[in-house]
Amino acid sequence: MTSPAAGLLSRIPDPPPELERKPLVENLRGFGWISDRIAGVAEGKTPTWWWVAFFPSVLLMLMCFTMVGYLVSTGVGVWGVNHPVGWGWAIINFVFWIGIGHAGTLISAILFLLRQRWRTAVNRAAEAMTIFAVMCAGIFPAIHVGRAWFAWWLFPIPNSNNIWPQFRSPLMWDVFAVSTYFTVSLLFWYMGLIPDLATMRDRSAGKIKKWIYGFFALGWMGSNRHWSNYEKAYLLLAGLSTPLVLSVHSIVSFDFSVSQLPGWHTTIFPPYFVAGAIFSGFGMVLTLLIPVRTLCHLEEVITVRHIELMGKVILATGSIVGYAYATEFFIAYYSGNPYELFTFKNRAFGPYWWAYWIMVSCNVICPQLFWFKKVRTNLVIVFILSIFVNIGMWFERFVIVVTSLHRDFLPSNWGYYSPTIVDILTFVGTFGLFLTLFLLFLRFVPLIAIAEVKSVIPQGDPDHPLAKQKETAAPSAALASGEPGPVSNGKPFGLLAEFETSADIKQAAIKVRVAGHKTWDVFTPFPIHGMDDAMGLRDSRVGWFTFCGGVLGFTTGMLMIWFMNAFDYPLAVGGKPLFSPVFAFPVSYELTILFGAFGSLLGMFIVNRLPRWHHPIFNSTRFPRVTHDRFFILIECRDGKYDEARTRQLLETAGGKNIELVKE
Amino acid sequence: MANLYPRWFNRLPLMAGAGLLLSGALVTAGAWYYLTPKYSRVGYQPVQPVPYSHKTHVDQLGLDCRYCHSAVDKSWYANIPSPSVCMNCHSQVLASDARLAPIRDSFKSGEPVPWVQIHRTPDFVYFNHAVHVNRGVSCVSCHGQINEMVEVRHEKPLTMAFCLDCHRNPAPNLRPPEEVYNLRWTNDPAKQLAMGKKFAHDWKIMSSQNCYTCHR
Repeated sequence: MTSPAAGLLSRIPDPPPELERKPLVENLRGFGWISDRIAGVAEGKTPTWWWVAFFPSVLLMLMCFTMVGYLVSTGVGVWGVNHPVGWGWAIINFVFWIGIGHAGTLISAILFLLRQRWRTAVNRAAEAMTIFAVMCAGIFPAIHVGRAWFAWWLFPIPNSNNIWPQFRSPLMWDVFAVSTYFTVSLLFWYMGLIPDLATMRDRSAGKIKKWIYGFFALGWMGSNRHWSNYEKAYLLLAGLSTPLVLSVHSIVSFDFSVSQLPGWHTTIFPPYFVAGAIFSGFGMVLTLLIPVRTLCHLEEVITVRHIELMGKVILATGSIVGYAYATEFFIAYYSGNPYELFTFKNRAFGPYWWAYWIMVSCNVICPQLFWFKKVRTNLVIVFILSIFVNIGMWFERFVIVVTSLHRDFLPSNWGYYSPTIVDILTFVGTFGLFLTLFLLFLRFVPLIAIAEVKSVIPQGDPDHPLAKQKETAAPSAALASGEPGPVSNGKPFGLLAEFETSADIKQAAIKVRVAGHKTWDVFTPFPIHGMDDAMGLRDSRVGWFTFCGGVLGFTTGMLMIWFMNAFDYPLAVGGKPLFSPVFAFPVSYELTILFGAFGSLLGMFIVNRLPRWHHPIFNSTRFPRVTHDRFFILIECRDGKYDEARTRQLLETAGGKNIELVKE
Repeated sequence: MANLYPRWFNRLPLMAGAGLLLSGALVTAGAWYYLTPKYSRVGYQPVQPVPYSHKTHVDQLGLDCRYCHSAVDKSWYANIPSPSVCMNCHSQVLASDARLAPIRDSFKSGEPVPWVQIHRTPDFVYFNHAVHVNRGVSCVSCHGQINEMVEVRHEKPLTMAFCLDCHRNPAPNLRPPEEVYNLRWTNDPAKQLAMGKKFAHDWKIMSSQNCYTCHR
């Protein structure tokens, strides 16, 4: 505290206790408790409620598959779509599910960049929900093409027709946006899972379970050198996912707004769709997490404050959506376009008035209740309102798709669209698919990011006064009595010392660095901020991989589109130029993100030399607690300054316990 | 805890990567060869109700294609002859041959002979025979040496790529109009190109590559 600014700050009195930020995990729980409680959901006997929810979900899912099979074998005539409404429930359901899929990446990427630390309790479940929702969404465009077995023609794969996809169509951009979104969300989700899968590996009692979790944990050992690259890659993925999540629903909205239909052809569509997507996504997150937190006894991790904050997001996005509805009406009036005005009058007072007013009351009026803190903190009301949000957002897509199509320019083309039972059962069935996947996720994977939650509690911050507080809870049986393996006669690998708190490990790391060691590492259950400096690590090089991936993606996109649409098969469409960087941009943009994301993940793996399932450090019987509540330092024998007696003494003076010589 | 995985496991990513690359290449090559019409359609030779030999009728007897496929130069469709066309000769020649029984039955009853279709364009493709044969594209270009086939088989892939190859560069397949139905006509390749180019120019052949040329 030598700088003048710091001196100035020290004179500002501490805030009164009622204004202090409450810890994100209630009751000052420790690292071990967090592991036990969250991992416990996926361990032990399967609770009755899970089976009660699982069976009907599976039945619904099977119904969905049956309906899809019926449609594919019979033809799209089994649906209610016909002239003039050619885009019926298939597109409505697609946009509905894709919209729901937006909350996950928003929480994991945008809230991460905005340093909203409360996201740690909900991001894993929201990301899983995103992936499952996008899977549900993906079914519809694949089957609505009529000949579903030709859906692969949408991808730029050489085929015997000698023809390439037509990249001037927003439907084509959509293919790239949605598949990029799915892939990047999956990468992001899996990457976040790696440390927690290591936790599951170390906790599992059964051999097969341990082997499977261990396989997918890729040999994660909590090394700080790994964490450093891991966090960089995570940050980069968040940075890539943010423009991605905004682009996906913008491109979905282009499917409509690029056409020239009154009610679709508006410039407001991209922001309006994105806001609606986030709105519906948060609605679904709340619908799922409010019951889950009670059923899984996670009230201390997913607190009422989390629910309240999500309520605020719903209020904000719901208001944007309401504002967009009003703007649409205003523009319809102000543009002086009679077709536009007719369409909007017809929406509110035409044959589909009921759908319009369900939409307005669910999306605009209901969320306004979230202005009141009493409403935001009453979980029953929040749960009910979140379901209204889901209903309202489905009807929004219904209103957009159906009311614009059912009144064509010529009154002789007018019609009334109704779905068939196949339409309805397919859509209801996708909820079965969604819930089946979500329930399986709850049972087999930690539903909250264990390592991330550990890093945001006070004990996880080495400079916090509470960081010196020691863990009191005893670890589970599998961790405490780690069965000693066969006595290894390999050559010595290094000296391993154990530490109990994040404050201790940071001090010890500084001591080891000052002593001049080079080939050594710190192992922690979660990334400790400031540890890179304590160890004297330089900035991670993962960013270069991301950069190269991104550049490669953009050039690939541009060159591919030029080659396919202007060079190899000059495809004349609507008098438009054969190539222009403008229409090639959306796809190139998605490929930039896709390749950049692969670059980040692969870069992280390459720099960390992962996967590495076999490592001498796993021979230590105490080491599995590194994914639970303990911290370790390992100084390797090949370090230049290594000397068994002196190094042991250094680790002892640094506060290390249970020092052991790890053998290969 | 002992190490869960043996040491060689660390090489698994490299092995898996190499394996994936290899199997991916194999699958691609396999699909390229086996799943394309060049393999899956060429050679198709169904058993017909009557083993009609083009070789006998065209090569030996010298029938013109249009004797049976009489509308090929007038309509989009190269018609299959009705049994009465067969009976023009076969009421006298081989009049009681067992192999021709289906033709005679059909002639009497009026029920068509159940020929099995070999060359078919998809529902969404519009192909006009007349426009091709009247501008110097011979039957051989798409159907192969029909005159040498004892029974007809699918000779060319007839994929969209096949159509496009010619639409991009029609010259090699244009011949003098009087030689269109002469299935044995050949030309010196060097002369053919110049001749084809001249025909394309003189007859204003604009083999369009627009989607709506075939998909209407």
